Amino acid sequence: MADDNKALAQGLKRRDPDLLDQLIEQYQYRLFRYLLYLTSSRERAEDFFQETWIRVLERGYQYDGKYKFEAWLFRIARNLVIDWQRQKKVQSLDALTDPDEGAPMEFAALNQPSPLHLVLTAEEKTGVHASLDRIPAVYREVLVLRFQEELGLEEIAGVLVAPLSTVKSRLYRGLEALRGAMQGGAA
Amino acid sequence: MSENLHGRAEKLIAQERIEGISQSERDWLAAHLRECPVCTQVAQQTTAALRALRGLSVPLPPGLAARTQFRVQLRAQEMHEREPKRRLLWIMCAMSWALGIATAPYVWRAFEWAGESLGMPRLVWELGFGLWWTIPPLIAAAAVLMENLRLTNENDQ
Repeated sequence: MADDNKALAQGLKRRDPDLLDQLIEQYQYRLFRYLLYLTSSRERAEDFFQETWIRVLERGYQYDGKYKFEAWLFRIARNLVIDWQRQKKVQSLDALTDPDEGAPMEFAALNQPSPLHLVLTAEEKTGVHASLDRIPAVYREVLVLRFQEELGLEEIAGVLVAPLSTVKSRLYRGLEALRGAMQGGAA
Repeated sequence: MSENLHGRAEKLIAQERIEGISQSERDWLAAHLRECPVCTQVAQQTTAALRALRGLSVPLPPGLAARTQFRVQLRAQEMHEREPKRRLLWIMCAMSWALGIATAPYVWRAFEWAGESLGMPRLVWELGFGLWWTIPPLIAAAAVLMENLRLTNENDQ
């Protein structure tokens, strides 16, 4: 595994085009899914998806292969989304700030469906998609990283650039929120 | 059954999925769940929520990978084409630096001679010598910064 990562790091340093093509194919689903849950918008997720890979090309030399490639990839994607949020000064439901650490989560339109809700099919609007849509983005993000992407707690801390204790606390609250939202949806 | 026991069980149910728990904690939880229908329900709901989350699928936009690969290739080509220009800039900077060091004593003497011939105060020609040293690197740094700024703007568009 470590050798694979080292080889990957070497390839990224060389900006190996075949390697990049292969990585885009390999991680397209996971990266798009992560971005979709992060941005709640299909169009934005597509834009960030492309930008993320351009960054991988440009900054591939920064990946040292010491940890999982996907953790580094998600971190790049997350930073792009945060930069964009800062630039646009967007304050919305999906602001990636911790509601427990100051900046409150603002619901842009409580009575209207969120962008994530709009991209879902009728079937998906019930069940776990809808439940995820109902919980704050900071919790949704760690749940997706832990239980869909199967990243370790320290890897998630690396993606979020946050202390391990913050990751754990978000996971506990997120799990509780998800369970509550699913029960609410089922009721 | 006390509230404390339910609280501990609920904490362990979450902890087991998030961080993992020890064998003794697992044994305790299993024994508690055998006797407590409320906590059993919490455990089942948690398992169901995570199973649903893991099984979640998101429709991928058609051609997303191909479009991205094309953009990445274009950018790679662009970077490749700029590489010789950037290398040339660094080589020129290095040469300028080396020549500057090598000729510094002669330039110092030239400034000293010119200063004395023109009757300038020592501080003035020393300042002139300092500018002779600092202005070229400042121009080079400004060129590099402008190039980076241009690249950033291009990326943003």
